[in-house]
Amino acid sequence: MTVIERLKSVDRLFIAVVIVPTIIGLIYFGFLANDIYTSEARFVVRSPNKDEASPLSLVLTGGGLGGGGGGNAESVTVIEYLQSRRALTDVDQDGLVSRAYGGEDIFWLDRFGGIFGDSREEFYRYFQTKLGVAEGTNGQVIHLTVSAFAPGEAQQINARLLDQAEKLVNSLSERARADAISIARQEVAQAEEAARKAAVMLSRFRNEQGIIDPELEAASDLQMIAKLQDELIAARTQLLQLETYTPQASQIPFLRAQVRSLQKEIEQQRGGIAGGSRSLSTAAMRYQELQFNAEAAGKQLTAALASLQEAQAEGRRKQAYVERIADPSLPDYATQPRRIRNIIATFILGLLAWGVLSMLIVGIREHRD
Amino acid sequence: MSAALPQSSLRRSAVIQRRVLGALLVREMLTRYGRHNIGFLWLFVEPMLFTLGVTALWTATKSVHGSSLPIVAFALTGYSSVLLWRNMPGRCIGALWANLALMYHRNIKVFDIYVARLLLEFGGATVSFAVLSVAFVSFGWMSPPEDFLKVAGGWLLIAWFGAALAIALGALSHESDLVDKLWHPVSYLIFPLSGSAFMVDALPPFAQQIVLTIPMVHGVELVREGYFGSQARAHYDLGYLVPVALALSFVALLLVRRVALRVVPE
Repeated sequence: MTVIERLKSVDRLFIAVVIVPTIIGLIYFGFLANDIYTSEARFVVRSPNKDEASPLSLVLTGGGLGGGGGGNAESVTVIEYLQSRRALTDVDQDGLVSRAYGGEDIFWLDRFGGIFGDSREEFYRYFQTKLGVAEGTNGQVIHLTVSAFAPGEAQQINARLLDQAEKLVNSLSERARADAISIARQEVAQAEEAARKAAVMLSRFRNEQGIIDPELEAASDLQMIAKLQDELIAARTQLLQLETYTPQASQIPFLRAQVRSLQKEIEQQRGGIAGGSRSLSTAAMRYQELQFNAEAAGKQLTAALASLQEAQAEGRRKQAYVERIADPSLPDYATQPRRIRNIIATFILGLLAWGVLSMLIVGIREHRD
Repeated sequence: MSAALPQSSLRRSAVIQRRVLGALLVREMLTRYGRHNIGFLWLFVEPMLFTLGVTALWTATKSVHGSSLPIVAFALTGYSSVLLWRNMPGRCIGALWANLALMYHRNIKVFDIYVARLLLEFGGATVSFAVLSVAFVSFGWMSPPEDFLKVAGGWLLIAWFGAALAIALGALSHESDLVDKLWHPVSYLIFPLSGSAFMVDALPPFAQQIVLTIPMVHGVELVREGYFGSQARAHYDLGYLVPVALALSFVALLLVRRVALRVVPE
């Protein structure tokens, strides 16, 4: 019996489902498939405002769509970025990635551009199969893995991705910082303008009215009235005494004139303080309003200056940043493909499929006329 | 059994088996639903009512499912797939005892009885899923699936796994009552874990790893990805689900052969 006859006598199904796939697997994994090296980096995206997160927002980010674990907004941004087309474009600017995966020495089935064409969209999809972005089990540490056909290239691509992610986080926090400061500056400028306006109004009012402080002036006027009243009382007392004891005294008409003029003077002074449109009380109303404005503007300016200072201090502390736990590693041996394991897996799966199919066929054959 | 037999004999056997299955299907439908009121329409009205009820409940309570997906579509995809994998074993457990009398017929095999019931369950669940989908879409309660092929693929994979599980449990149940007793609590326990009530992505990473060891989850995630596409990030690994289903099928067929040797017609 020749070998070929012997082979023919074996179940054809067994050949098709077990032997052929195993031989293909043997050839592919044994000889054709290129070594794949995987470079891994681990990092954390830190943001100082994480402590402020309320329990509610923790629940929301913990159960959110892209949240995964307790990942904060920045690490979600980084993960989305790493998986984006922009990241690929950024890393592939000098063609490093295309060269790494499109080399002629790579088996055509594994090579980019081998079977699916070399459009940018295909390139992106292809790269996604070589890229792994995963959150660690506690949802904080991000594992970034890049697989390539040469250890150096895997490390280089990984390092570039990490650098780009770092730049992205830095530019995001720089932007947030600049925004905060420029808003604070604007507020300071507005407050300054308001304070200046209020001060100008106040001084213009003083010039127009010729009054420094209406209340002070009213107080001094009231003092004057009191003094005049004292004098009036003294003059009246004297007049009464003279009229009672020496009615013919020559000072009486003089005293009468003095009393009259004192009364007139007091009336006039009173009119200056209250009543009448040009009185001190009217001026005091307007003055208080202006002074209140000036004080309010001053307080606002102080507050704006304080918040500017705070914003600047905040900015000096780094807002969010990438902290590297492990730099991209340089793989020293190929972790993929696991050749023996894959060949055995092909064989076992083939056996299982053969078992199922042959039992099904036996089941069908049991039905007879 | 060997290549020595002519090819036409296999084809002839297949024709006979198809006839047997057709007859068993009709018999199953009649014995189960009878000719009263809407008759065999209950086949898919029953799961439809289930799904409708669950959808209404989930919508009313705005159930937390950890994502922003539309709740109606979420409930429909989730609960339909539960019906698919849970009803198959339910119907196959004890199926042989109920049909022992039929075993007198030379051409009715143990496997045929299971297949007939599986086809019935699969048809019922599928029609219910399809009718409700079309109805909800036409009412504007949800949008049509983004990738129909993915939905169909996921659905078939769940069905494959469910069928293998059903045959294995059905064959085991012929020898031990324990299977029937244990299946009910187990199926209720797996229901909340099977991915029907949540998206894997919403879980913390360590829980994802645990949940993804349950094979149904991969199928449900695939159906969801087909439905929601870009809106949801699905986690599934066909490299896990397919070998598991294949291995389970192998075990199931072995068990059926063992039972077939021992079965004693009444």
